[in-house]
Amino acid sequence: MTCEEFRRVLPELGSGHRIEQDAHLKSCGACSDLLEDLNAISREARLLQGSEDPSPWVWNSIEVALRQEGLIRQPQLQHPQTPAPVLDWRLRWLVPLVATLVIVFGALIYQRGTGQPQLSEKRMPPAGVVTANLQSGEVMVGEDLQLLKTVSERTPAMRATYEADLRSVNAYIRDAEQSVNSNPNDEVAQQYLSSAYEQKAMVYEMALDRSLP
Amino acid sequence: MQRATSCAVVTILVLAALAAAQTTRQEMHFKVGRRASVSIINQYGAISVKPGTGKVVSITATLYSGKVEIDHSKSRRRVAVFSHLLEGADTETGRVDYEVLVPADASVTLHSTTGPLHVEKLHGDIMLEGTTANVDVRDVSSGHIHVRTLNGPVTLTNVSDGHVDITSVGGDVALNSVNGSVVHVNSSSGKIHYDGDFGDAGDYALTSHSGDIEAIAPAYASIEVVARSVQGTVEKDFPLEPEHTSFVPRAGSAFAGTMGEAASSVKLLSFSGKIHLKKR
Repeated sequence: MTCEEFRRVLPELGSGHRIEQDAHLKSCGACSDLLEDLNAISREARLLQGSEDPSPWVWNSIEVALRQEGLIRQPQLQHPQTPAPVLDWRLRWLVPLVATLVIVFGALIYQRGTGQPQLSEKRMPPAGVVTANLQSGEVMVGEDLQLLKTVSERTPAMRATYEADLRSVNAYIRDAEQSVNSNPNDEVAQQYLSSAYEQKAMVYEMALDRSLP
Repeated sequence: MQRATSCAVVTILVLAALAAAQTTRQEMHFKVGRRASVSIINQYGAISVKPGTGKVVSITATLYSGKVEIDHSKSRRRVAVFSHLLEGADTETGRVDYEVLVPADASVTLHSTTGPLHVEKLHGDIMLEGTTANVDVRDVSSGHIHVRTLNGPVTLTNVSDGHVDITSVGGDVALNSVNGSVVHVNSSSGKIHYDGDFGDAGDYALTSHSGDIEAIAPAYASIEVVARSVQGTVEKDFPLEPEHTSFVPRAGSAFAGTMGEAASSVKLLSFSGKIHLKKR
């Protein structure tokens, strides 16, 4: 058995090994070390589950830092309250099985629901919650929703104005970004993008500064 | 019938008297030095600023209910007045209208969510901000004019030697006889209208996302112009001398060229709006 063959079957290894795998482990220090490391990670991961949760402030700080660095654009709407449990590498073979079951289950539900309005179509968004405008492909990001919530709380009458304007400037940013992406050296396209971001900054400043009581 | 009419008249008179009783006027006068800075922060209501006589700032405020108060602070060269909303105030009960007289060289900063905002005949810096406020500036010179609105329309008339910077998301922007070293307008969906000669040695940039841009200039205008719309159409009534540009001019969607001695730079840029450079 070669190292490549061993690593290919590695995710499928259980607690016991076959003879040829044992033979390879005895003869190959690299694969033996790798297996030891994986087992150690697996053990530590179980311990991590029981450790103390970081405070939400930690997640917020990380998110803010990543956003400032431009590494993420879409906000994390729900911060994890517990560290995600690390999947035992020996159980990875379960992933495709679970995915298949989910698809089959979803197909059954869909077949039963055919001819009737879907639950999600009938459900109205709760008051004060902005939903994505799927027709225009525009999705309000978390900061926008937070801004609208703030406006709603302070001056409900202005909420519709701010929502319409946010959608307008988001559309501007989207178009400008596409224009820049299609021609990165185009100075005019860059000016569109700069103008669009200037507008969005203004909307935020006016909402959060002193426009509202 | 006659009795009912009498009752209605009496009721109206009583309501009018009650409304009048709720309306109060406050007058404030502040002595200031040269080039004073005057700031009026008003949540709801009009602010009108005109030049007065002497080095005095005179403010007349009309309050429409007891749910708003006026606060102010003052130093030798600075006057700041705030409308202070009390619990339960809304756009009607929190409204205050200001009429302000300032020295002509004063710089003014005005804010009102609903407006309107009006400034005339000053030559200091002017900063105006309103959400839906209608903004009107006229007969001013030699100052910076910064205007920001969300949906409020903006009109500038007879502005000379100014440094103009206007940003509006949805408000239409009209510039009539406006010139200066810098004239920048940035709009998203609002229309931009310019009617003037573009002065000399100015930098003019009218930019929009979906709003149309119309610029009207005389035949003697001296400009280097670039016009481009990604998805809209572009038209011009002038023959231009062609010039080298960073993009390829295409009939109907972009043009570039010069008129006269090309004293001022003019950029007319829209993403999906129409652009028309018209001859006056």
